[in-house]
Amino acid sequence: MQYWIAAIVALGCFATLPFFLGQYWLHAAIMGLFYVMMASSWNLLAGYTGQVSFAHAAFAGIGAYTSGILAVKAGIPPLIGLPLGVALAALLGFALGSLCIRMGGIYLSLTTLAFSEILRIVVTNEYEITRGTMGLKIPPLFGEYSKTVSFYVLLIAAALMLWAIRRILDSDLGTSFRAVQNDETAASSLGIPVVRVRIIAFVIAGAMAGLAGSLYGHYLMLITPHVLSLDLMFLVLAMTVIGGMGTFVGPIIGALFLEVLSEYIRVYGEFHILIFGLVALAAARFAPEGLVGLWRGYFARKVRSGQ
Amino acid sequence: MSDFSLYLTNGLVMGIIYALFALGVALIVGIMNVINFAHGELYVLAGYFSALFATALGFHPALAMAMSTVVIFVVGLLIERVFIRPTYGNDMYSLIVTFILSIVLQNAYLLIFGPYPRKPPNLVTGATNVFSLFMYGNQRLLGFGLALVVIVAFFILIKYTWFGRVVRAVSLDRDMAALVGVNPERVNLISFGLGCALAGAAGVILTPIFPVTPTVGVGVSLTAFVVVVLGGMGSFAGCVVGGLVLGVVENLGAAYLSSAYKQLFGFVILILVLFFRPAGLFGRQRV
Repeated sequence: MQYWIAAIVALGCFATLPFFLGQYWLHAAIMGLFYVMMASSWNLLAGYTGQVSFAHAAFAGIGAYTSGILAVKAGIPPLIGLPLGVALAALLGFALGSLCIRMGGIYLSLTTLAFSEILRIVVTNEYEITRGTMGLKIPPLFGEYSKTVSFYVLLIAAALMLWAIRRILDSDLGTSFRAVQNDETAASSLGIPVVRVRIIAFVIAGAMAGLAGSLYGHYLMLITPHVLSLDLMFLVLAMTVIGGMGTFVGPIIGALFLEVLSEYIRVYGEFHILIFGLVALAAARFAPEGLVGLWRGYFARKVRSGQ
Repeated sequence: MSDFSLYLTNGLVMGIIYALFALGVALIVGIMNVINFAHGELYVLAGYFSALFATALGFHPALAMAMSTVVIFVVGLLIERVFIRPTYGNDMYSLIVTFILSIVLQNAYLLIFGPYPRKPPNLVTGATNVFSLFMYGNQRLLGFGLALVVIVAFFILIKYTWFGRVVRAVSLDRDMAALVGVNPERVNLISFGLGCALAGAAGVILTPIFPVTPTVGVGVSLTAFVVVVLGGMGSFAGCVVGGLVLGVVENLGAAYLSSAYKQLFGFVILILVLFFRPAGLFGRQRV
């Protein structure tokens, strides 16, 4: 109960942001929401079922390019294109998840990496359709372009997605996710349909990334192969690791923390990625459970010394 | 016909270099079950050091090559000790750590060396008429020969020395090897350093031909993964065959199918192999 109150208060605070943020910081807030969606959905797959996929940015790209291309080439309104993009991302999530079912660990990571690179190379080279690295200009989701409207659209989408993730984690499915991560053989001996659980995780995470990518594309109104590059994949991974992989709030905190940090270190230009990387490396080395782990450790020590 | 033989030669030359850096990945996978995402970045670092030693410090290019390979070996030891050792037993975590490390290194190179291509001086110049079919650059022929020498030396090391026996024992059965007195931590450390040194050797051999920029390492890592999977995880002979196959397929594919999609062939091969024959061409069936 306390949990939901905290969530609603946080959401309420976020909803007031457009009233006192300038255009620049409003943009940062929108990017932060996009990263929250990406990191949280990747965490559902990698942190909870242990399938470290490198195709998450690729799924965002599928969502963005599907609704973008449909809008530009076929004149289909983005509000119809967006669900189609999400559906295609879910379908490819199903395909990739099924492809990976016989593999675990590093083999799965390599397959998803190959999938992601194939997609990036195709999108970069099919210039006629995607306009390659020049980027594809696409219309906003609906009506006229407005940052404030985009902010609320992404805020609602992020809130619904986090709510869905929380519900999944609290359900039997969430328990199966963790069981599959800890020990697949033991999970299957307890009657958990391991294959189905792993594929479901891929489909859900793929659809969520597709949604995030599509919203992101229609907000920026320009999509480039950068969306499905390993650079974006790195940001998502770094945010999750810094926040705390395998925890619900970790990716949210990591995404917002890194987005705010990146606005402050933007003056260093290209090198802000280096700073990100060093922070992530330090987190992975010294605090494998991320900021959430540090906080919990601090809290636990405090309780112990108080007794 | 002479076109075809040129493409084939290019494929074989590139293939043997692929085999060289893929052997490093295969060694580390076989011993530690760790995929080193920063493999390509060590290749790049070797190229930078080789250029630095030869041009800025004025060493003979051959000496510069040997020195930078040694430097990469030491760097590999450091990476193992600082970042990989705490992740023992958690394959996914080592993957994440080396992925982050590769991004950090790329951006550090950008900061230190700038975005422009760097290359060490050539050891030889000119070109040779190969079988009176086509002219082929001497530096490339030398690269082919050097790579072959390093690979043969590596196979001798694995087959005939005490260290090689330990490596084979550990990759067959880790616990059993520990039981008969192998110190697993030291084997991990040295194997990781040696694996990185192989990337370094490939780097110093290839950079006079293809200058390095901060991000070319990504392609090197990905190519190495394709070769290792194709040959069978942890199989050294498979690496050599896999490297040659990939080199030839890429060059013939680029010539006759599509040069824009040159890199795509490798990834398609990777997915097909993992799906239909996950143990690779020469691997043990254990996936």
